[in-house]
Amino acid sequence: MNIPLLAARNVTRNKLRTVLTTLGVAVTVLTFVLIRTVVAAWYVGVEAASKDRIATRHKVSFIMQVPKNYADTIRQVPGVQAATWAQWFGGKEPNHEGEFFATLAVDPKTTLEVYDELVVPEEQKKAWLENRQGILAGDVIAKKFGWKVGDRVNLVGTIYPGDWQFEVSAIYTAARKSIDRSTVYFHWDYLNESLPEQRRDKVGWIVSRIDDPGKSATIQASIDQTFDARDIQTLSQSERDLNNSFLGMMSAVLGALDIVSVVILIIMGLILGNTIAMGVRERTTEYGVMRALGFSPRHIATFVLGEAFTLGIAGGAVGLAIAYPFVNQGVGLAIEENMGAFFPYFRILPDTAIAAMVMALVLALVAAVIPAWQASRLRTIDALRQVG
Amino acid sequence: MSTAASSAHASAGITVRDVTKVFYRGKEPLTVLDKLNLEVTPGQFVALMGPSGSGKSTLLNLIAGLDRPSQGSVQVGQSSVSNMADSELAKWRSQNVGFIFQTYNLMPVLTALENVELPLLLTKLSGAERKKRAQTALRVVGLEDRSTHYPRQLSGGQEQRVAIARAIVNDPSLIVADEPTGDLDRQSADDILTLLTKLNTDFGKTIVMVTHDPAAAERANVTRRLNKGQLS
Ligand SMILES: Nc1ncnc2c1ncn2[C@@H]1O[C@H](COP(=O)(O)OP(=O)(O)OP(=O)(O)O)[C@@H](O)[C@H]1O
Ligand SMILES: [Mg+2]
Repeated sequence: MNIPLLAARNVTRNKLRTVLTTLGVAVTVLTFVLIRTVVAAWYVGVEAASKDRIATRHKVSFIMQVPKNYADTIRQVPGVQAATWAQWFGGKEPNHEGEFFATLAVDPKTTLEVYDELVVPEEQKKAWLENRQGILAGDVIAKKFGWKVGDRVNLVGTIYPGDWQFEVSAIYTAARKSIDRSTVYFHWDYLNESLPEQRRDKVGWIVSRIDDPGKSATIQASIDQTFDARDIQTLSQSERDLNNSFLGMMSAVLGALDIVSVVILIIMGLILGNTIAMGVRERTTEYGVMRALGFSPRHIATFVLGEAFTLGIAGGAVGLAIAYPFVNQGVGLAIEENMGAFFPYFRILPDTAIAAMVMALVLALVAAVIPAWQASRLRTIDALRQVG
Repeated sequence: MSTAASSAHASAGITVRDVTKVFYRGKEPLTVLDKLNLEVTPGQFVALMGPSGSGKSTLLNLIAGLDRPSQGSVQVGQSSVSNMADSELAKWRSQNVGFIFQTYNLMPVLTALENVELPLLLTKLSGAERKKRAQTALRVVGLEDRSTHYPRQLSGGQEQRVAIARAIVNDPSLIVADEPTGDLDRQSADDILTLLTKLNTDFGKTIVMVTHDPAAAERANVTRRLNKGQLS
C-alpha cells in the first residue's frame, strides 16, 4: 500500500455512488466525443471535397435551372478540361419509402470524365452508356436495396411525378472519399425527352473539371463573366465551397452543440463537486484520525484529489469504452453510408479521445479543488469531535 | 515492533504544568482546564476519570499534541509539546504517540493489515519492512489470522485490537486512549484492558487512558479524577 493507492481506494467506499458518478462522467465524455467527432468529421468532408472541380449554377438560387448548352460554353473557358451537367430528380424507391438518397439525371459520358474517381467495371460502364434507361448506382445504396446488375427497378418521381422504369446497368465504388456511394445516376436524355417542350434542355447545375486547382478562383470568375451579358447569369463555386455552403446551416447547429457541450461540462462539474464534497463531509472523522496519526493537510488534500482523479480516469475510460463501439461501429457507419458526401469519415479521431480523457481528468480535479481545500483546512480536534 | 529494552523511546514521562485551556463559543469563553498540573512517570499507566464535559478528552489532546494549551506547558519525554508548530507536532505525533479511540476509527476501505500499516506510510521504510512490522503488531494483539479482513468483517473487540496494533506499530513512547472500551461488552472490554496492561508491563509503554468504567480504571497504576478544571 502507498499514499496514491490509499487515495484511489476511497472510491470503493460507496460503490453505488462511485458507479453513478463514474457513469455521469462517462456520459459527459460520450457527449463530448460525439460533438467533437461531428465537428471533426465535417472538416474531413470539406478536406476530401475535390479541389479541381467547379460547380456552376443559376446566380439567383440553386433551385433555378440554367440552359444545358451552357456546358458547351464552359468547355471553351481556358483551364476547363471537361464539363458535365446534372439535374436533381428526387426519386423514391417504393419499397423503401423512408430512405433518402440522391437521384441525379446526368450526361453519362461526361459525368464519368468529370467524376474520375467513380470506379465502374469496364463492361458495366459500357452497358450503362448504351442503355437509355440504365442506372449507375452506388454500391452502398445498391446493397441497401438489394439491387444487382440487370435488375429492373421502379422509381417514383417527386419533382417529376410518375413511375419511372429503369434497369440497373452498373454499380460504382469510389476511389476517393470525395464521392457519396449512395447516389443513383441515370440518363438525363431519358428525363429530358419525357418533358413538355418548354421545360426541356434545362439543367440544375454544371460541373467542370479544371487543370490547375490553384487557378480555381480565376476560372470561376471567367466562367461567370462569360454569362454576364446573357439573360441567365451564373454563380460558380469550387466543390469545396459548395459543400461548405450546404453545411452552412450545419455549422450553426454545430455552434449550438458546442455551447451545449460546455453547459453539460459545467453541470457535470457542479454535480461532481457536490458528490465529492459530500464524501468529504462524511469522512471528516477519518481525516481527523489521519491528521492525529501525523498526516499533513497536504496529504488530506491529496486524498481528496486522488479520489477525484480516480473517478475522472474511470469515467473517461468508461465513456470512451462506450463511445468507440457506439460511434465507430454504430452511428458512424450509418452516417458514412447515408451522408457519405458530407461525412465521408465519421470516426473518433485519436485527438478527440485524448482530449476527452484530459477533459474528464481536468473536470474531476477542478470539481475536487474546493472540497480538497476544505478538508485540508479542518482542525484535527474539531474533525475528531465530529464522531459519527 | 521492537521490545521495550531495545527501543529508543520505550516510554516517556509527562509533565503538565499550570495548563489552562479556554474554548470560545462565539465570544463567550469556556474555561475547561484551569491551571492544571499533572505528572506521569515513564512507564506509568494512568486512568483519567470524571464527569462528562469535565475536560478529559481536552487534557488528553493536549498531552498527545493534538491541541495547544491557552496557558502553561506540556512536556512529553524530551519534547516541549506546547511549543511546537503544527507541522512539527504532526511529525512528533507520528513518531511518539499511539492513538486509541472509543469508536476504533479504522479506515473501512483498508484491510486490518493495511490499517495497521497506515502510520508507517509516513516513514521511509520499504514496503516489505512496513508489512513485516504491521504483521508483528497484529501478532501482538492476537489477530495475525485476520490481516486480510476489512473492519466490517470484524467484531467491535477485534476492531479495537486492530486499532491498538495501529497505535503500537510505530513503537511510540506514549499511548493515549480515549474511552477505549466505551463501545464494548464486558468480555471484549476486559480483553482490551488486558492487552493495554500487557503493553504497559511487557513493553513499558506510558499509557494515559480516559475512562468512565471503574473496572477499567482499576487496571491502571493510578487513577486521577478531573472536576471543574482541576485534577484530584
Ligand atoms: N473544540 C472545542 N470547541 C469548543 N468547545 C469545546 C471543544 N472541545 C471541547 N469543548 C468543550 O469543552 C468541554 C470539555 O469537553 P471534553 O470533550 O474535554 O469533555 P470530556 O470530559 O471528554 O467529556 P466526555 O466524557 O463526554 O467525553 C465541553 O463542555 C465541550 O463542549
Ligand atoms: Mg471525551
